[in-house]
Amino acid sequence: MKVLIVEDERKTADYLYQGLTEQGCTVDLAFDGIDGQHLALHYDFDVIVLDVMLPGLDGFTVLKSLRSVKNTPVIMLTARDGVADRVRGLQDGADDYLVKPFSFLELLARLQALTRRGRSQETTLLRVGDLRVDLLSRKAIRQEQRIDLTAKEFALLAVLARRQGEILSKTVIAELVWDMNFDSNTNVVEVAIKRLRAKIDAPFGQSLLHTIRGMGYVLEDRSATEPE
Amino acid sequence: MKNSIAFRLAAMFAVAALVGFALLGGVLHRVLSGELARHQQEQIDGRLEDMAYMLSHGRPTGLGERIRDKLDTLGAADPRTRSWLSSEDPAFRYGDDLPMVEAAIAAGRDSVELPIGTPPRLTPMRIRSGELAAHGERPAVRYIAGVDAAPFGHTLRTFETAVLLLTLAGTALAAALGYWIARIGLGPVERLSDDAQRIGPDDRARRLQLPALPRELADLGASFNAALDRLDAAYRQLATFSDDVAHELRTPLANLIGQTQVALARERNAVELREVLQSNLEELERLRAIVADMLFLARAEQGVRARDLVASSIAQEVGKTVEFLDLLLDEAGMSVQVEGDAVAPIETSLFRRALTNLLQNAIQHSRPGSRVLVRIDGDERSAAVSFSNPSAPIAPEQLPRLFDRFYRVDSSRRNSGENHGLGLSIVKAVAVMHNGTVFARSDDGMTTVGFSVALKA
Repeated sequence: MKVLIVEDERKTADYLYQGLTEQGCTVDLAFDGIDGQHLALHYDFDVIVLDVMLPGLDGFTVLKSLRSVKNTPVIMLTARDGVADRVRGLQDGADDYLVKPFSFLELLARLQALTRRGRSQETTLLRVGDLRVDLLSRKAIRQEQRIDLTAKEFALLAVLARRQGEILSKTVIAELVWDMNFDSNTNVVEVAIKRLRAKIDAPFGQSLLHTIRGMGYVLEDRSATEPE
Repeated sequence: MKNSIAFRLAAMFAVAALVGFALLGGVLHRVLSGELARHQQEQIDGRLEDMAYMLSHGRPTGLGERIRDKLDTLGAADPRTRSWLSSEDPAFRYGDDLPMVEAAIAAGRDSVELPIGTPPRLTPMRIRSGELAAHGERPAVRYIAGVDAAPFGHTLRTFETAVLLLTLAGTALAAALGYWIARIGLGPVERLSDDAQRIGPDDRARRLQLPALPRELADLGASFNAALDRLDAAYRQLATFSDDVAHELRTPLANLIGQTQVALARERNAVELREVLQSNLEELERLRAIVADMLFLARAEQGVRARDLVASSIAQEVGKTVEFLDLLLDEAGMSVQVEGDAVAPIETSLFRRALTNLLQNAIQHSRPGSRVLVRIDGDERSAAVSFSNPSAPIAPEQLPRLFDRFYRVDSSRRNSGENHGLGLSIVKAVAVMHNGTVFARSDDGMTTVGFSVALKA
């Protein structure tokens, strides 16, 4: 994935560059609106991360001149949380909008969602290591044993399995599983993960559901890389 | 000065006095000049009557001569009134300047200017005449009387001057008195202003002295004091709020700085460093959550309202919330009972957030195994949802403060990562964004906290 980051705040630009590069993206950086506009217009990117407050040209202007030429997906970043800003950005043709401070995971998820658009041919049988999740018959089977899950537990497992290898924050999980799209301060997700883990991991020795402290949870088979 | 109330009042008094005096003077002038004219008329008429009597009733022999003598006597006694006789017969012709008078009478005028006095000066005379036909020896004769109009005119002029001077003096006096009265009358306003000027940021408890104020200003003073009370309350809230924010941010910041310094003070292996980073991340998430919630509250206070309203069943929303927190209820061995339902236009995610905070609040403050009662009521104007749970009683004065930012009943700040004391303020913000209100009760060992939303935006 080829990403252009237009961001004047050096630290932000640096960690975005490092983070995205380590996720396998090819990243170009611009530190002001003029460079950003030049790069955005003359090269092809899969997605552009565009700060609103930029020296030279502001983000809205860059977005406008870009939109008059091409349809590269754009995520706007801003420290201002005003509804007016958000509406303006989206009206001018931004595809998404993130308010600082945002979590890197969320940015990653949104970038993937933007570039994934249109090619979401999903399989109904997911495999994570020796765990099989059948989305159609709503069954989870590990080591040939049927695991008895409640509806919510299965929904949680399905969300994690669909995005295996991807770290999901508690907020994202709450939204995908319970349709609660706000920052809740509850530990519902922790409790749910704990219970799911007791059913899918504990009896089988090898852990598939991992906690990334401070960030969230990921379902992946790590047996090949680092034995736990 | 040009906007001084005292000056304006003085000017208005002066204008009123001017109008009054002018009207009075005008009326008096009319009356006086009428009276003077009548007096002149009477003098002339009296002389004419005398002359007519003498002419018609006198003995015919030597009548002309006798009448002229008589008229001479009358003229000497009253030099202001004069008499003339006009006839073909020279014996019945009498009076100085007779031709001029005859000409004026012939022209039908009622006044004539005659040279009078020494040296002679042209003086206006009012004249009137009568006529007697020939009778016996007496020829036809026209008799004429005149009165000097100058003294009357002079009286009128003097009167006019007096009225004008009185008017001017009266107006000036009214203005001066008016200014003085206004100053006295406005005294309380000045004292009020002095009183108000002493109120400053360092002396916020000071208020206007209401008992000292006259009735007309008491309302103004009371409103002013009420405005000060509100400002003071907001000021104090802001001050405590800044304190609270600083405090809430200080703990995670201290943790971040401290543990990072400790970690860097020695050589650490990757596992230890990762530990520190993860712990830092948790603190940072806490900071982020506080900042995000603070911004949310600030937006609500700035008047941002709920958008994308969808008419929804509140019972259904409560159901979703219970489903979301089901695991927590389960862990605490608690159950939820929902009574009633209402349909209201809501912004779903905001509303769910409020419900989640309320239910979470109920779970946190109940003993394990207890039951939460959710009541939904609606009338034609609003719908309300409340969560009741058994708990220790809360003092009545604490109830409204439950919705204050960072307010905690037990006042010992628990720094549990999941509750930073904004839960119920967010409920209040959500209620306000839906044009609703919040309420809290504590009775019979049950605490009830809830909010309402307006049915019409």
